[in-house]
Amino acid sequence: MRNNKTIAAALAAFLACSSAALAQTLDRTKVPPAGKPPALHVPTWTKTTLSNGALLVVSERHNLPLVSFSITLVGGANQFERADRRGVAGLTAAMLSEGTTTRNGDQLAQALQLLGTSVSVGIGDESGSIGFVSTTATLAPTLDILADMLVNSTFPAESLERLRAQRLVALTQANAQPGVIGRRVFARVLYGASHPMGQEPDETSVKAITRDDVVAWHKAYFRPGRAVITVVGDVTQAGVQAAVEKALAAWPAGGDKPAFTYPALPATHPLTIYLVDKPGAAQSTFNIGNPGPPRSTPDYAALQVMNTILGGQFQSRLNANIREEKGYSYGVNSGFSYGKGPGPFRAGGDIVTAKSDAALDEFMKELRGIQGSRPVTDEELKTAKDALIQRLPGQFASVAQVGGTITSLIVQGLPDTFYQEYVKQVSVVTKGDVVRVAKQYIDLDHASIVIVGDRATIEGPLKATGVAPIVILDNEGKPKT
Amino acid sequence: MPRIFRLTLIVICVLAASIGAAPRQAKPTAASSSAINIPFEKHTLPNGLTVILSVDKSTPTAAVLMWYHVGSKNELPGRTGFAHLFEHVMFTGSGHVPYGLHDKLTEGVGGSNNGTTNNDRTSYFETVPSNYLESALWLESDRMGFLLDSLDIAKLNAQRDIVKNERRQGVDNQPYGRVGEILASTMYPKTHPYSWPVIGSMTDLSAASEEDVKNFFRLYYAPNNSFLAVVGDIDPAHVKGWVAKYFGDIPRGQPITRPAVAPVTLAAEKRLVYEDRVPLPRLYVEWPTVGVTSDDAYALDVLGAILTGPRTARLTKALVFEQQAAAGVSARQGSNEDVGEFDLMINPRPGHTLTELEAAADAIIDRLKQEGPTADEIAGATAGEELGFVRGLESNLGKANRLADGAGYHGDPGYFKTEYAKSRAVTAADVKRVANKYLTKGRIVLSVVPLGKTDQASKPGESQKVGGVQ
Repeated sequence: MRNNKTIAAALAAFLACSSAALAQTLDRTKVPPAGKPPALHVPTWTKTTLSNGALLVVSERHNLPLVSFSITLVGGANQFERADRRGVAGLTAAMLSEGTTTRNGDQLAQALQLLGTSVSVGIGDESGSIGFVSTTATLAPTLDILADMLVNSTFPAESLERLRAQRLVALTQANAQPGVIGRRVFARVLYGASHPMGQEPDETSVKAITRDDVVAWHKAYFRPGRAVITVVGDVTQAGVQAAVEKALAAWPAGGDKPAFTYPALPATHPLTIYLVDKPGAAQSTFNIGNPGPPRSTPDYAALQVMNTILGGQFQSRLNANIREEKGYSYGVNSGFSYGKGPGPFRAGGDIVTAKSDAALDEFMKELRGIQGSRPVTDEELKTAKDALIQRLPGQFASVAQVGGTITSLIVQGLPDTFYQEYVKQVSVVTKGDVVRVAKQYIDLDHASIVIVGDRATIEGPLKATGVAPIVILDNEGKPKT
Repeated sequence: MPRIFRLTLIVICVLAASIGAAPRQAKPTAASSSAINIPFEKHTLPNGLTVILSVDKSTPTAAVLMWYHVGSKNELPGRTGFAHLFEHVMFTGSGHVPYGLHDKLTEGVGGSNNGTTNNDRTSYFETVPSNYLESALWLESDRMGFLLDSLDIAKLNAQRDIVKNERRQGVDNQPYGRVGEILASTMYPKTHPYSWPVIGSMTDLSAASEEDVKNFFRLYYAPNNSFLAVVGDIDPAHVKGWVAKYFGDIPRGQPITRPAVAPVTLAAEKRLVYEDRVPLPRLYVEWPTVGVTSDDAYALDVLGAILTGPRTARLTKALVFEQQAAAGVSARQGSNEDVGEFDLMINPRPGHTLTELEAAADAIIDRLKQEGPTADEIAGATAGEELGFVRGLESNLGKANRLADGAGYHGDPGYFKTEYAKSRAVTAADVKRVANKYLTKGRIVLSVVPLGKTDQASKPGESQKVGGVQ
């Protein structure tokens, strides 16, 4: 052990003297001043186009024997799923672990287990990825297995039936969770059933998916032409490029990045409360908001500052008021879901049933407040900017974080110098900017308020607030009579 | 039980990374075997505070973790929930720190903060840009030394309300949310320190007087019951000076008598059925086992990984893949400081009863008890630990947790090396032995069923009803 008793005793004696001396002079009311701010070190990376058309991004980092490897496909379920086959992306992702031309599902699982790692596959709304984190020593064999899954999967029919049955159980379980119901209904009322952002897998669509759907979907989706391969960690650019070219030699070229053209949003409607009944619920789950801007908005920095003041942090206005001051909740917050499309602005949280009406008033008060009725203070503005700028170094702590951050810049079409520019953009945001973007992107005249809770207890009090008319919806977001 | 819900996952990841096991087949390279290390130095102040420092300059950030050796087991029946209540109160200001400043000097400067409470310990932590380290130490010292100067009944009441909301969100309004407290109150006798939930009884919280709460603080939140880990972009000489300056004059507290925690066994199987607002029934089985101070915990961890997890694990393969009677199954050892439990959970597929699944799971477990696992199973179950350990090194907070857990539970911040070696040393014979020793008839079998559907319980005729949804 590094510790040595003699040294510890000597040190203790030294500290005893020094602390006794310091106790005389220490003024605890003085906040210790901050030291010199550390310079922002954004990792650097190289970009190369591989022979199959995929973009290879490599960021070397040699402090630990670790590598993060991921292939990100630009475009996701919202671009490539049919409305009557929602869920095919997720099932296809899961089917990649069910066997290849040379390894069955058990053999794949065993091989990965003995390497001490796992390959994860996930397809989200606007992008998908297949990847892993390994030690340096197990990078090559793990990459070989990933390539086998990507190119040689056999999609056994019996596996699809098992996975489908598991999905259906998960859908049933989710229907009992107020958080899941709230997010689903919120998306449905904001975007409507014919917009990809208003849809999600349901029992009908999951039951309709055939093996042919999965095979065709895999063939069309997993294409190097829309792939960003990001490798971060204990590798060299040259070595990893050769290894990736070799491992993915059988992945045929082709595929384009999708255009991300979303259908028009449904016509707006006046502010409305949508109430979903959950009899006996101990809390009411709130989701309040409207469709928001894409990640490419020129107002991104101002929106980040505005949301940090409103609901992005513990001491933001919403949580400081509704949790800390009023005690109605264990936590409320707000935020934007930035992407290529009009992802939502949302404010919400779980509120004790008896205070649902009072909490609604407070939510509305804070949303109007950030739009100008409660002026932004100098301190709020400074704290929000400090938090946003000074948190950046912490975003680059792990190989997986670095990989995710770089990939996200590339997928969103942002410049490599984004973070350096972002620091400047945040620092020049004014109070006027905060109010302007709050008004522009939070449309309180036409927002939707979705509340999942005990209708028998809360409907009357919610109505009495006079905030908005109430429409009763079911768990799927359909009108209930 | 964290102060802020959204950070829970991070904590779980840190813990999960520490539970894995070691590679036996993968050849350790020079780079990776030397990576199983966290360099640290330790010293103790005259007032008893243990200080652990570890330098990692990879990012200009630092983690401060204050580990108090107090959890719900230090409470008394009728006065439960205090340790967790303090987790909340500790963020509301102290003698020289007005309300809100703690958040401002952590998340407000680009860092973060939270706390967690379990049966055995409470930990409070901040991550900050490294130039704010001194103020983070000042904040921690002020709430250790001067919390009660600013604690009044109004503050207590406000935090009690928030804790009640935390319980509503995590327990009452969650499907299957009461399972944990039903199992604990069935496993342990009423006076046993592990029998009540960490979040406590809402009645006890309401009944607690200001003086009750303050006395609890005076005893347990003293430097002699505390471990401070500071990890990241730090200069140890500076940090030692700051620690001496801010913590040195906080007086040592009274000697602490730890609760006597008797191991429990169940003489016979306890069968229960609980009706809840759930869409599908679910089966929970729990056996009493051991805590972190017993070497059997390592073999029980491996046993869990051999039973469920990857598709080749025995219960997963049989119930989910071959019989296709379950949508999911999980088995794991949960090790507290003094005692532990081995838990099995089965999610049935429609058309399959809990009775059928219980019998199928028992048959698989019985076979494992007779045969013991294969060498390949041991190798597979333990191969993930090296990666898990090295990934844990990427987080200053993860390292601080490991160092403080080692110091608090084992008297050695470097205990992670012992844990790693003990995980690697688990043999097939060890797993067979612990399976036979602990997975016995003395267990709890709890069926959670939809309201009014007690007939969906496993062996409904033999299962006793437990208190229903309020």
